[in-house]
Amino acid sequence: MSVAPTLRERSEAEASRLPPLLARAEHLAGTVLLGEHGRRRAGLGDDFWQYRPAQTGDSKRMIDHRRSARGDVQYVREREWQIAQSVMLWVDQGASMRFSSDRNLPTKVDRARLLGLATAILLVRGGERVGLTGTTLPPRRGNEQILRLTQALSQDTDVDYAPPEHRAMIPHARAVFISDFLGDLSEVELALTKAADRGVRGVLLQVLDPSEENFPYRGRTIFESVAGSLRHETLKAGDLRDRYLERLARRKDDLHQLCRATGWQLGLHHTGDSAQAALLWIYRALDGGTR
Amino acid sequence: MTVLAGIGFTAPWILLGLLALPVLWLILRAVPPAPIRRLFPAVTLLLGLKDDESVSDRTPWWLLLLRMAAAAAIIIGLAGPVLNPSRDETGTGPLLLVLDASWAGASRWPATLNQIDAQLTDSGRAGRPVAILRLSEPEAPVFQSGEAWRSRLPGLAPMPWQPGEQQVAAAIEAISAIDGGFDTNWFSDALDYDGREAILAELQSRGNVTVYRAPTAVMGLLPSTFEDGAIKLTATRSEPGPAQSVTLLAQGRDPAGTMRILQTATAEFADGATQAEVSLALPSELRARITRFEIQGQRSAGAVSLTDDSLRRREVALIAGRRNREGLELLSPLHYLTHVLVPTADFVDGALLEVLPANPDVIVLADVATLSEKEEADLVEWIEKGGLLLRFAGPRMAASDLGRHEEEVLLPVRLRGGGRTVGGAMSWGEAKGLAPFPENSPFYGLSIPDDVTVSTQVMAQPDPNLADRVIASLSDGTPLVTRKPLGLGQVVLFHVTADAEWSTLPLSGLFVEMLDRLAVASAAKARTEAQLQGTAWAPAQVLDGFGGLSDAGNLAGVDGMELVSGRIGPDLRPGLYQSGKERLALNVLPEKAELQPAVWPADVPVKGQEVNREKPLGGMLLALALVLLTADVVASLALSGRLALARAAMFVMAAILAAPQAHAQDQSDTEFAINASKELVLAHVLTGDRKVDEIARAGLRGLSDTLFYRTSVEPAEPIGVDLERDELAFFPLLYWPITPEQPKPSAEAYARLNTYLRSGGMILFDTRDADIARFGSASPNGRKLRELAAPLDIPPLEPVPRDHVLTRTFYLLQDFPGRYAGAEVWVEAAPADAEQIEGMPFRNLNDGVTPVVIGGNDWAGAWAVDRNGQSLLPVGRGYAGERQRELAHRFGVNLVMHVLTGNYKSDQVHVPALLDRLGQ
Repeated sequence: MSVAPTLRERSEAEASRLPPLLARAEHLAGTVLLGEHGRRRAGLGDDFWQYRPAQTGDSKRMIDHRRSARGDVQYVREREWQIAQSVMLWVDQGASMRFSSDRNLPTKVDRARLLGLATAILLVRGGERVGLTGTTLPPRRGNEQILRLTQALSQDTDVDYAPPEHRAMIPHARAVFISDFLGDLSEVELALTKAADRGVRGVLLQVLDPSEENFPYRGRTIFESVAGSLRHETLKAGDLRDRYLERLARRKDDLHQLCRATGWQLGLHHTGDSAQAALLWIYRALDGGTR
Repeated sequence: MTVLAGIGFTAPWILLGLLALPVLWLILRAVPPAPIRRLFPAVTLLLGLKDDESVSDRTPWWLLLLRMAAAAAIIIGLAGPVLNPSRDETGTGPLLLVLDASWAGASRWPATLNQIDAQLTDSGRAGRPVAILRLSEPEAPVFQSGEAWRSRLPGLAPMPWQPGEQQVAAAIEAISAIDGGFDTNWFSDALDYDGREAILAELQSRGNVTVYRAPTAVMGLLPSTFEDGAIKLTATRSEPGPAQSVTLLAQGRDPAGTMRILQTATAEFADGATQAEVSLALPSELRARITRFEIQGQRSAGAVSLTDDSLRRREVALIAGRRNREGLELLSPLHYLTHVLVPTADFVDGALLEVLPANPDVIVLADVATLSEKEEADLVEWIEKGGLLLRFAGPRMAASDLGRHEEEVLLPVRLRGGGRTVGGAMSWGEAKGLAPFPENSPFYGLSIPDDVTVSTQVMAQPDPNLADRVIASLSDGTPLVTRKPLGLGQVVLFHVTADAEWSTLPLSGLFVEMLDRLAVASAAKARTEAQLQGTAWAPAQVLDGFGGLSDAGNLAGVDGMELVSGRIGPDLRPGLYQSGKERLALNVLPEKAELQPAVWPADVPVKGQEVNREKPLGGMLLALALVLLTADVVASLALSGRLALARAAMFVMAAILAAPQAHAQDQSDTEFAINASKELVLAHVLTGDRKVDEIARAGLRGLSDTLFYRTSVEPAEPIGVDLERDELAFFPLLYWPITPEQPKPSAEAYARLNTYLRSGGMILFDTRDADIARFGSASPNGRKLRELAAPLDIPPLEPVPRDHVLTRTFYLLQDFPGRYAGAEVWVEAAPADAEQIEGMPFRNLNDGVTPVVIGGNDWAGAWAVDRNGQSLLPVGRGYAGERQRELAHRFGVNLVMHVLTGNYKSDQVHVPALLDRLGQ
């Protein structure tokens, strides 16, 4: 008898995690108008585009007899060109992302998941195929995929500074990497060069906590990473501020250089800011790239 | 005790600990503050960064200083510093402390005890045996250690008398019985008494005598006297000093029975005077309540003056010439007199000869012209023993030959035949006003209203002694009130009637004041020795030295003569004495007493009462150390960046400390009252079941909306009422849904509910179960209703009859559905004699409003709407359901109309008849 309640509780807890993230992501995605997504030209696709008079070269099968029967001219029914793009997501689920400096701020991983999933929802609505990098969840279409994405994005890993997953990238696809990029830069470099080799372009979004941007600490302090793998002790934290900020700026610069070299776009988002602005930026960045 | 710079130390060696402070300084300097651990993902960017300075972040110097100061305060505090260490330990050998211990020192008693305490401590330290002798209650002194006496010190209390002959003799005997020499410290109360020199001489023969006395004068209050309608109070002081004013308090029970200060008066001592008088004119009702006077701020028996029967209610016999003319209540000659005297006097009823043996204080004869010889003789005898005969003129007196030719013994003046009428329809002139009262009149000083006029009066014959006997006259000089003494008593004649026939005087407040001044309403009769001869009095309550009254217990009774002439002492305690129904107050100070200050010979050193008490400083220093350490905690937190946490904690502390809860309660009570009474508000009883309460509130909101739309009743947002806490008087209607779980109200709440029902409130009980049960004990709700309503004051009930007012106060209704329909609704039953009126289809039912309406139709459920006005709960099905909801609303409207208009609607029955009669 005791197994059932535990199982029930666990499944309830599991289930309770999905809808809020999904709901928030749907909510966030709902704020973006899908105004510019259609290709606006005739092509392969399911949606009707226009009727045009049949020309020489059109095969007889292409003639739309229902329209043509109304007159003497023969019409060909054209469909809008629709092509599904594959977009691959990577959201850093490492322990370092589970951090927020203030109770009122969301953790970085929370914001990253929200943005990733919202992007996925938008893309799926636009008819794209969305998946995760790596082999766990290849790009697919449909709302079912969003549920699967939600599930995959809700799993924490205990490793500090998870390296970007760069395996099994589909050539000429698009990619979205969301992380704080505070770990080893060479891993990012490796992933990006590999992606560039395969013709994959995309977006890097760096999510930072405001305290990581300001370094508002003073006094004798031991700084620890979230999983506890790294620590640094200082006697006067206030004195480190300038040098820390310098290093942070250099890290951003490195990322920028890397992106320039590989044709990716780099964005910066703070958890203290509105998620909507970041989502719009991602969407624009992806959209601009596909046009 | 070691003394350094005026400060003594009980444990000076601990001060050596101060030497360790420099070491502590070095240690604290070397140890950096503890690090704080922080999660910080960007630590990767920090790796490899070195601190600029190789030395650690040291504790700043001011923090070190703070900690040093705390450590020093602890060390010095533990060393036991004492300010003003007493060092004047002169004298050796036994010490006798002599106390007057009379009422005169009572108001300074705590100071005296402090001083004695200090001396006992000193003697204990010096090892001197001590004895204490109280002169007001001398016992053989026992020499003991000072510490032993200190434990008995709180038991010493001053006595409410001065040492008398017996006490002085006993004291001298006790002193002479002591072996060997001793020094004496005499704590004097600064008042002189006989035998003081003898005791002083006896003490001086045995050793040094030092006198301690306070520099302030002793104050006392003499017994109050009652003269000319005012209470005269006299305060006295022992030494003539500069001008001073003292506040005298008159205390007594208010109508609710609690002791309170009824009146205050200020007595002014002139410069150099020892007596100050003030007279207190009080309404007799208030005066009769006073039980004691006292000087404010003087806590002694001498500053208290008890009152007795002299301020009590008087007994008055009213006798009128024409009695019992049926039905003319307002024309009764005694009507106004009765109303004036009811608050202050008791009436003795009966014929004249029957009331005389009861010995009333006052007999009033209103328009009585003829008295039998026996009556007259008895009346004269009674007046001569101190009675007051008050006569009023009238038509009979004017028509009779009373006092026409010679002066009647029971009339102050001779009368002329017939009297006169002025200002009437058949006479010249205008009605006369009153002339100002002459200075020798008891009415002197009363203000005369303009509207007091006299139109008819009996006239006095001019006589040589007429001028002496007139105490009030009209503006043309004719006498209005005359008076003559007769033996110990007096006869007073008002030349007008006691009713408003001849003058408007009885209608005015002046009439009340005049009767008051004539001591009709109260009196002061000092008892003479002759009256008290041979009576025995038992003490009822006695004063203690501080002026407090306590039960006399089984103290022995005293002879009446003693009360007048005896000297106050252990055998004759001041207080209230009782004999039969009479009470007599015996005060500490007799009438005309003077307080004599004690004068000491020049060779006796006299000291004041200041005491330079030792003041230990250790506790203060330790507290200072705690404060410093607290500051250190805050400073350390601030330094290590953890102040945010500390700040939060401080906010919590401040919130806890500053929560003014009682005040908030007060405030919320006022707010509740304002909210409930600003507009008409419907209310429901909070049952504790949240869902039921919400529905009840929503239901009343729906009903309020309906009333607002359809009628001129515009209620505000309904209120939930907590029976235990909230005032109910503001609500015309209480809706009380019954749940089986709700708690039973407390007894006080029931008392309030009953008051509410009696004063016109209505409770609508709703068992909300008409779908499953009829009204009765069949359902749990019904049973609960019976339990809840049992202590309530509910009249007999009946189902609403077809002609009840409730069926037609606004809408014409015959059934009263709520969410459920059909169950009977019960209201107060019609009285057995209620009848149908003039063939109208309904009876004139209960004059008032039914106090309860009981049913089970869940009306609130039918009325309930949400904020947007949408119905919350379904009623019935389809159109029929909506019709039922409409009827439920109509019932609510009728109910509220019924509460607010009472039986007005049933009176509307007569409108057609009235219109018919008016010819329209």
